Amino acid sequence: MKLSQIFLFLAVGAATLPAQTALPEAAKKKRTPAAPEAAAVPQQVVQSNSLVKVNATSQPYSLHMPWQKETPSGRRGLGVVLSGNRVLVTGQMVADATYIELELPTTGQKLPAKVLAVDYEANLALLESAPSDKQQAFFAGLKPMAVDSGTRIEDKVDILQTGRVGELIKSELKIGKVLTRRYNVEGSGFLVYEANNIVRSEANSFTLPVVKGGKLVGLLLSYDSKNQVTTILPAPIIEHFLKDVADGSYEGFPSLGMELQSTLDEQFREYLGLKPDAPGVLISMVMKGGSAEKAGMKKGDILVAINGFAIDSRGDYKDPQFGALSSSHLVRGRAYVGDKVEIQVIREGKEVTLNGELTRRKPDDYLVLPYLFDKGPRYVLMGGLLFQELSRPYLDAFGEDQRGGAILRLSRVASHPDKYEEEGRKKLVFLSLVLPTPSAQGYDKLGGQVVNKVNGTAIKDLNELADAFKDAKDGVHVIELKDFPHILYLDSFNAERDNMRLLGGAYRIGSLKRLE
Amino acid sequence: MNIRPLLSLLALALLPSALSAQPVPAPPAANQAIDTASGAWEGIVNIDVSVLVPDYREPWNAGQPSGGSGTGFLIGKNRFLTNAHVVSNATRILIRTTNDPEPHPAKIVHIAHDCDLALIEAEDGSHFDKLKPLDFGGIPQLNTEVIAIGYPIGGDRISVTRGVVSRIDFRPYSHTSVDSHLAIQVDAAINPGNSGGPVLQEGKVVGVAFQGFSGRVAQNVGYMIPVPVIKRFLKDIEDGRYDHYVDLAASDFPIENPAQAKALGTGSDGVGVMVGDVEPQGSVGDLLKIGDVILSIDDNPVMNNGLVRFEGELMDMNEIVERKFAGDTIKLKYMHDGKKLEATVTLKRFDPYVRLGAQYNQRPRYIVNAGLVFQPLDRNLMDAHQMRDDTVNYVFDNFLTDKLYVERPEPVVLTNVLPDEVNTWITPYAHSVVDEINGVKIKSLKDVQTALAKKDKPFIEIILLEKNRPLVLKRELAEAAHKRIMQTYNILEDTYLGDE
Repeated sequence: MKLSQIFLFLAVGAATLPAQTALPEAAKKKRTPAAPEAAAVPQQVVQSNSLVKVNATSQPYSLHMPWQKETPSGRRGLGVVLSGNRVLVTGQMVADATYIELELPTTGQKLPAKVLAVDYEANLALLESAPSDKQQAFFAGLKPMAVDSGTRIEDKVDILQTGRVGELIKSELKIGKVLTRRYNVEGSGFLVYEANNIVRSEANSFTLPVVKGGKLVGLLLSYDSKNQVTTILPAPIIEHFLKDVADGSYEGFPSLGMELQSTLDEQFREYLGLKPDAPGVLISMVMKGGSAEKAGMKKGDILVAINGFAIDSRGDYKDPQFGALSSSHLVRGRAYVGDKVEIQVIREGKEVTLNGELTRRKPDDYLVLPYLFDKGPRYVLMGGLLFQELSRPYLDAFGEDQRGGAILRLSRVASHPDKYEEEGRKKLVFLSLVLPTPSAQGYDKLGGQVVNKVNGTAIKDLNELADAFKDAKDGVHVIELKDFPHILYLDSFNAERDNMRLLGGAYRIGSLKRLE
Repeated sequence: MNIRPLLSLLALALLPSALSAQPVPAPPAANQAIDTASGAWEGIVNIDVSVLVPDYREPWNAGQPSGGSGTGFLIGKNRFLTNAHVVSNATRILIRTTNDPEPHPAKIVHIAHDCDLALIEAEDGSHFDKLKPLDFGGIPQLNTEVIAIGYPIGGDRISVTRGVVSRIDFRPYSHTSVDSHLAIQVDAAINPGNSGGPVLQEGKVVGVAFQGFSGRVAQNVGYMIPVPVIKRFLKDIEDGRYDHYVDLAASDFPIENPAQAKALGTGSDGVGVMVGDVEPQGSVGDLLKIGDVILSIDDNPVMNNGLVRFEGELMDMNEIVERKFAGDTIKLKYMHDGKKLEATVTLKRFDPYVRLGAQYNQRPRYIVNAGLVFQPLDRNLMDAHQMRDDTVNYVFDNFLTDKLYVERPEPVVLTNVLPDEVNTWITPYAHSVVDEINGVKIKSLKDVQTALAKKDKPFIEIILLEKNRPLVLKRELAEAAHKRIMQTYNILEDTYLGDE
């Protein structure tokens, strides 16, 4: 029972919950001390000098009352020492971190660390510690681990954990599958190794290294104790990340920005005019501003090849190392932002070659933020009316049973942002909550309404909303909503007075807005 | 009409989905012992119903046989009043009096689901000729005593419970779950089987027991349909047809905020409620705009919270509209852009909201083609299929709020794909809203039939709402598969569009 609970937390990391879920008390799990054998010979303890314990305290901002923070919680993991005294962990490990420290597994010596680079989409972070004598002493006995991207299906690898005194605990796994899947935030898929076996539970659960022959082949992403399935964030993605960091400016992983539909259905193939054995998938959506659109790809094209790799009717290409693999990896994993890309499509029966340059869609380019870590949600508070920009984490914070009404409407905007983007909106501003103030009298049951205009100005993001509140006419703010009751009026003088009362009042509001 | 979800109210018929109430004999004076043999309550009858609950998952099937029992009472020559939910989806109705075990087959004369009332008659009414019909009273005062009579659970013979009038309010009626009318709350025990039975005061009917809370939610809370609602129903059917309730089809938002009152130009007298939404196809769709202020209805001033003082009681302003009939007019005083205006509005029923509520006594409509099952989107469908698709849920939940009915009065859902070689690749697309078939925009189930009849192209092409690929079937393969699929899945008719 206890075991399975702990393992559940492991799995939580990647698959089940957003990253803010901590791994609270896993560290305290008591292990039976290794019972000494009858013979008095002390057991040989195998230690790794390339691993350090990483302890992070995480404290996300409240999504519903964005001026305050949630309860801090602790996370523990095992980091991998890389060259230059840097330590690699998963991005989850450091998300919303307030304090990070490294700990030597053997001596328990501790050293504060900072995030040098983090990519929450690729779920990777690189830590470092300011140079000092203490830092030098800490890393003196540690040896960088090399990264090995050569893993193949059927290879045997070990998940490493450390015990109480730093002894190395190995769980052997065999890589069974290589596929692409999204990590722990919204977005396209990344390469994943999948393996089957039992992973025993130890204290360091948030990040665990996976090695083969002393080299790093990946980091544990999730472990499903019921099915004993382990997913691993693989070395090729780690190498990509490290290489990107090394060049001084971090660009992240590129994407084409398109959606494809398999063409296995013979009738569909015939309808599309595809020959029975010809490769290719239907492009069903091309994202505005994405690499594919810039290269000239159009909805309805049949994608047949990317960078010389033929795309089959499932949308897979033949990877020299892993075999059939989703074509998204051709761009995401094998190419970098700024790389040239060559795409072959069939358009109106003719083969067309499209040339473009790969870009990455940044979280801020989305109408609805796909994730939000390390900073507080943007908000504007006016006379008790709380306005926010819609984000995935905000929507995800509602349970299944609360998904009706406003949340259902907002979720749909998040899945189908096109219409709102065409209106010129950069973010979706909505009234999220009404605090009881005299100037908001009568509005306190509202929440979840999209804001169209304030004082006659169409609202494209919160900055515009904040500016528009400077233009009250005849002492009244007019707020136009997309949803019932469509219009709100707010006395501008009384709203300011209520703002002043809110500051430091019962709701412990330190600032009326966050726009950075 | 306000559309409010109703979570814990149960209708009171012993019917599959609801609980029912049952009839009691004639009215005695309060505190007077009743001799059931005297015939005073003989007109309060037990109604035993066999039911066939339509199957919205396999719409070609008969449905689920079930049964229930409620109460009804004689209000005229061979005319028994009961709740609509007692006799909904009935295949056989039997009436029994408390002193005569003989069952008398009966049938529905009129049924009004929106106010949960029905009028039934015995096939041979002669047995009841000697019985005395019950008379109607008015709206009882708060804290006055009433008795509920019927055939609730706990025994076979007639039952009487006593209580007082607790509250008079505009309430959701759970039978359709989308209609709200005046309802009177009483603390007399009203239990399953009481449904349709009379609630009496001084020997006169002051209401029809119809719903309550389950014991886990609230105690001693029962509701009856008051006389104004009953009288409206009886008047509506005088012309031999039930025309349903009419509706303003506008939502009001209270004017409680001082800046709002100032901006809208309402005075300090607390008169006027803001228009928060208007249904373009409703009675006032061409008249009122969002942000207008309704000042009075038929010269009854409307307060800032949407209430009016009507017949001495504070009631929702809709109560005035409630009493009217299709084609009646109301006088509306309102304010637009600060100007006071007046208009006479002809009232009509607002159809789009009907599909948001439960519907009864209908055979499910559907079209099956090459294993693809198309059905119109309504509450019955949503409940039966437990739709999880975001688009289907969005369209249903926002049918009114986002005015989706204007473009698509009857959204059609691909509810199922009965697997066969011809459609095996498109089975994952079940539970999608259909946008277009063969170039024809699908606004109703009938359009599916029209669109499928177009045979100018070698492919049947189905475009789904918010799904990024069309479904295509090669026509010759689909046609060949159709018969085979009908046989395999035991479907007798491939189309039922309702009796036109």
